[in-house]
Amino acid sequence: MRAEDVVKQVVCAPPKLKLPGPHHHCPGCHYGIILRLLCEVIEELGIEGQAIGITGGGCSARWVAYLDVDMAGGIHGPGVAIATAIKRIYPETIVFTIQGDGELGAIGLGSFMAALLRGEKLTTIYLNNACYGTTGGQMAPTTLLGMRTTTTPQGRDPRTTGFPFHGAELAASMRGTAYSGRVSVHTPANRQRAKKALRAAFQRQIEGVGYTLVEFLSPCPPNWQLSPSDCLTFIEEKMIAEYPLGEFKNVAQIDY
Amino acid sequence: MTRGEIVIEEQLCKGCGLCAKFCARGCIAPPKDKLSPQGYLLPIFANPEKCNACGVCGWMCPDFAITVYKYIEIEEAAAT
Repeated sequence: MRAEDVVKQVVCAPPKLKLPGPHHHCPGCHYGIILRLLCEVIEELGIEGQAIGITGGGCSARWVAYLDVDMAGGIHGPGVAIATAIKRIYPETIVFTIQGDGELGAIGLGSFMAALLRGEKLTTIYLNNACYGTTGGQMAPTTLLGMRTTTTPQGRDPRTTGFPFHGAELAASMRGTAYSGRVSVHTPANRQRAKKALRAAFQRQIEGVGYTLVEFLSPCPPNWQLSPSDCLTFIEEKMIAEYPLGEFKNVAQIDY
Repeated sequence: MTRGEIVIEEQLCKGCGLCAKFCARGCIAPPKDKLSPQGYLLPIFANPEKCNACGVCGWMCPDFAITVYKYIEIEEAAAT
């Protein structure tokens, strides 16, 4: 096969919805992989024109500048409440929020619970990296027991700081939830499962069933103080032991 | 066998090495010597003859730095 007899077909290229240029995530962070999944799912469902995204504070805040859809961001905590307002004013739009564990589990827990109880027709992308990544790795509600962070230098002790927060199970226990699942992107196979879960969640919102939530496990290499490849082992051995992967709820209809 | 190649965008790569970790055929050498303009160590597409254009390195690149191309012969391309 000579070089001039060959044409090149693109198998894998950056998605169209991702605006060109570098992003600010640290080397080895999986947020970039999740951002790519989000772009691909929105493109495949063909909802670019209807989608509105709300980002929270923290590392996902700057996704407003990376995605080529309507976005508002930088609100630490009440992202779900703002998304509720947008969805109720414009019911034909597809509204998604991108929030971290410190928002949904701590400062924004009130808004999150209220939206869950009302069964708002939103999609929440919940990024769980077991620490407050942006501000220097303090203990978050999702920090594993015994894990050392800057505010728990002896390891997290449940007697003083409580037990880890399980957002996906909490959402699955609510009657207004249409889809709830926890996924990870630390291997190619898990990445494909994560894409399927994210697409199912958006599909449930398009059908207008109820609240949908996808929880993503992600590493934080600088704050965990591990190399990118050791982070994959840590997710496999420690994170998945505490936060089991899977689909906790997927219903086509909610009885009112 | 399907052949292909990858192109690593040096401006975007941060040298995390996930592409080398997940390449099932060992085409990509982990970051070692070569530096990017930003000062990150770059992975190298070391064994192009083994690449079968599966696209996994592009999927798993967190920095959108990898484009994967598959070679198609011209007669085959005209037939499809």
